[in-house]
Amino acid sequence: MATKPGLAMYWAASCGGCEIALVNLHEKILEVMEFFDFVFCPCLLDVKYQEVEAMADGAIAITLFNGAIRTTENIHMARLLRRKSRLLIAFGSCASEGCIPGLGNLASRQNLMDHIYRDSPTLETGNGPLPATVVDVAEGRLTLPEFLPEVSTLEQVVAVDYFIPGCPPESHQLWNVINSIIQGTPLPDRGAVLGGGRSTVCEECVRKRTEKKIHRLFRTYELIADPETCLLEQGLLCMGIATRDGCGGLCPKVNMPCTGCYGPPEGVLDQGAKMIAALGSMIDIEACREGNLEDWHRQVDAVLAAIPDLAGSLYTYSLAGSILGGKRTQ
Amino acid sequence: MHSCDTRVTHLIAQGEIAVMGVGVYFCTCGGIISQQVDPQRIERLIRDIPEVSYMETMDFMCAEEGKTALEEDLARRQPHRVVIAACSPREHENGFREVLARGTLNPYCMQMANIREQVTWVTPDPEQALTKAVAIIRGAVARVQRHEPLLRESLQVCPDVLVVGAGPAGLKAALGLARGGRTVTLVEKGPVIGGMPVRMNTVFPGLECGSCMVEPMLDDVLHGNHATAITLLTLADIEEVAGYFGNFLVQVTRRPRYVTTDCIGCGECIPVCPAMTANEFNCDMDQRHAIDFPFAGALPNLPFLDMKVCVRSQGIECRKCQEACPVENAIDFSDPQEHLTLHAGAIVLAIGAQQEACSLFPDLGHGRFPGVFDSFEFERLLAHNGPTGGNLRFLHTERPPKSFLMIHCVGSMESNYRDYCSATCCLNAFKFNRQIHDLIPDAQVVHLFREWVAPGKGGHSLLQKGLQSPQTRAIRYSSLDDLRVSRADSHLQVQVHGLAETILTDMVILCPATVPGEDHSRLGKLMEVARDRYGFFAELHNRTDATQTRIRGIYLAGACQSPMDLQQSMSQGMAVSGHVLSELIAGGTMSLEPITAVIEHERCSGCGTCLPLCPFKAIQRQDHGKARINPVLCMGCGTCVAACPGGVIKGNHFTHAAIMAEIEGVLA
Repeated sequence: MATKPGLAMYWAASCGGCEIALVNLHEKILEVMEFFDFVFCPCLLDVKYQEVEAMADGAIAITLFNGAIRTTENIHMARLLRRKSRLLIAFGSCASEGCIPGLGNLASRQNLMDHIYRDSPTLETGNGPLPATVVDVAEGRLTLPEFLPEVSTLEQVVAVDYFIPGCPPESHQLWNVINSIIQGTPLPDRGAVLGGGRSTVCEECVRKRTEKKIHRLFRTYELIADPETCLLEQGLLCMGIATRDGCGGLCPKVNMPCTGCYGPPEGVLDQGAKMIAALGSMIDIEACREGNLEDWHRQVDAVLAAIPDLAGSLYTYSLAGSILGGKRTQ
Repeated sequence: MHSCDTRVTHLIAQGEIAVMGVGVYFCTCGGIISQQVDPQRIERLIRDIPEVSYMETMDFMCAEEGKTALEEDLARRQPHRVVIAACSPREHENGFREVLARGTLNPYCMQMANIREQVTWVTPDPEQALTKAVAIIRGAVARVQRHEPLLRESLQVCPDVLVVGAGPAGLKAALGLARGGRTVTLVEKGPVIGGMPVRMNTVFPGLECGSCMVEPMLDDVLHGNHATAITLLTLADIEEVAGYFGNFLVQVTRRPRYVTTDCIGCGECIPVCPAMTANEFNCDMDQRHAIDFPFAGALPNLPFLDMKVCVRSQGIECRKCQEACPVENAIDFSDPQEHLTLHAGAIVLAIGAQQEACSLFPDLGHGRFPGVFDSFEFERLLAHNGPTGGNLRFLHTERPPKSFLMIHCVGSMESNYRDYCSATCCLNAFKFNRQIHDLIPDAQVVHLFREWVAPGKGGHSLLQKGLQSPQTRAIRYSSLDDLRVSRADSHLQVQVHGLAETILTDMVILCPATVPGEDHSRLGKLMEVARDRYGFFAELHNRTDATQTRIRGIYLAGACQSPMDLQQSMSQGMAVSGHVLSELIAGGTMSLEPITAVIEHERCSGCGTCLPLCPFKAIQRQDHGKARINPVLCMGCGTCVAACPGGVIKGNHFTHAAIMAEIEGVLA
């Protein structure tokens, strides 16, 4: 059998949504299979890690790596797949920028363990066991990978060739990337974002914009938004202005504010910081213009008070990969 | 390492940055820097930075010999980029840029490392100073490699100037500009030019006749050597302003005067006119005809026909004025309203100010008792061309008043009204004091004052002479709430809280605050000129750039920006003409500073975040709502760069790549 280029897909700390994006290629997946050999994909194929380790270095043409780096197992697989792959693509928000797992960087490892295994209100109180990397049982010694102190992005662990954004990436964008590789279209410079636009979600949003002035912010349950007008101008914290386009503006299309899953636009280093800078220029202080600095602060605080979790709202996807990175925890 | 680091690297890679040779120049500042930071020790450390090709130590680089040495050294060594470790860039950056431009290097391929103000002057420990200086130079070396060569572009400009307001400041500016060879359009909303002084019998501190003082200037504007360069449009309003410095397009509506320039100003038309109305030029204290001069001696020497008052507006076919007129075609009932489009490179706002309405202070009796006047009404009572012909008397009785009481600071220096001093009222009140005693030597004058403000060469002596007169009394009060004016028989009585006596007087003169005029808001919005918290036009800087607004090409002169007297207004008019002549260079082009913000147009999503932020109104919405930055108006402040959530706006010379590289260089 003539060898086709190998294609791998791996999940590190992820939810499986990225695999769904692959499956959502529907019948096009047959075209993918025609061109590529699917050599490794724990979600779909029973291929063991040892089999990957046995492959020659660079044997895999493309690895779509999804999920953030949360455990030593994730690091091991990232390094392994880097070695075995000619192109390593950070696939989806977790691998690219940390995504929801990255919000774990707002708490220490100890905090997380205590909460999940001891303090969570759904648990019986008591000092239940915490996970350990080594446990000796009658049958012998069991080991688990270590839960790392911080979540990292793939790029923070190994060199990454390209990034495909989204939580999950839109299937048509995945197809665009795979198809252009099949067609032999030259790839952009290493490090580029594939399968995304070069502007922001507003580029794909048809809502009417008049003036970016915010008198108060609303959470989504507090307001049925006007379907024609810019959501941000209505006071909903729509991240579209600070988010890369490419998704097709799906959320604003159904009257929901963008939460920012396509990550920072080109050239933006910190999506949350950009959003705060933009919000800072929109909060209407006209009413207290005559007043002093404290009045202004009060007004800004009053508007922002509507968002109880600023880090979670502005860095939903990008915290681990941002300049901020997380909260300093001991 | 966070991914931002590699993103920065990626940005740098896109900027076609190869390995660059950076030449570092270390200025000893004649020992000021070198006694704190040892040149030899720092040289060893700086040379270790891979991109640094060489370091050269020089004394006094800012001196002419220093600059020549720099120029020669650059020609010999041909570095790609230059770092000058010396003083603050505010001192000599432009000078060093010129040196670079004399050779083959682009002037923006240089970065200054400020190791004088930021190191030697503030870091006494030499070891710490050395470490700090190295860090700053490292940052500069890292940053300068990301500097992009920038080009100064030039632009065709219209050298003509539009002056709004024909008061002393506007007239002086128009005349100065015309003398400087410019074509000026002077737009005045009223029928008469000259502003406040032509309505004053005398002007403080010397008590010269106001209209006589400014009349030579008015004549110059109307008929002088440069009059042909000045187009005067009276009864004209600014309707729309578009464009920017060097190229403004202004829509002006000229209301019909119905009297053409063929008129010789003989006034034969006036007494025959059957229609009368209250004369607003005399504060409604007398009547004028529908066709009339605002007051005797008003210039231009043409009456105006007020069609709202004229009986023709009621459908009556009256031609009495036309019949009395000795000149053919001087009165034209079909004079149309004109819409004009003016092209100008600069606009001077000189619309003056007005008095606070005394009706805001009902306890002071203005409008309630006939003997209570505001200072401008009193001005007209004293004026030879006013309602009493300069005889100081009541309007409806022949009895001359014997006692006067002036209330100072009506609305000024009051936190409930205007918390500023109106600057001219004290001297104006003591001008009145003198005039009253000139006309009625035994008149009693009382001043209810809060503070004396009498600056300048003649101010104090005017005040002192008044106060020394035995018929003048001054009583200090603390708040307007403490004062009450009421009627007592044929007199007025004034009660001052805390003062046992009640003061009886014939006349009360209120000295109201100087406040922005009714056109401030409209013109401010039209031209997007910012106003201060009082409503006056805001200066670019109220001490150092008081004749400029934040909008490039729109200038300020006179009381439209702050209360001021005739001398200041005239000086500002002249200053603004010099300002325009020096910035709007004749010869038709101007050089544009390239440190501006630039929008990557195809990436802009048109979200509109940047639009309201620009303090210079340089950002406009374009097709599909995308933003466009006008490089002529942009001052490179970077507000939009920071706010643009799409990362689409680049600050030239302050790119993310350069700033991040500098930070990383400092922290390395």
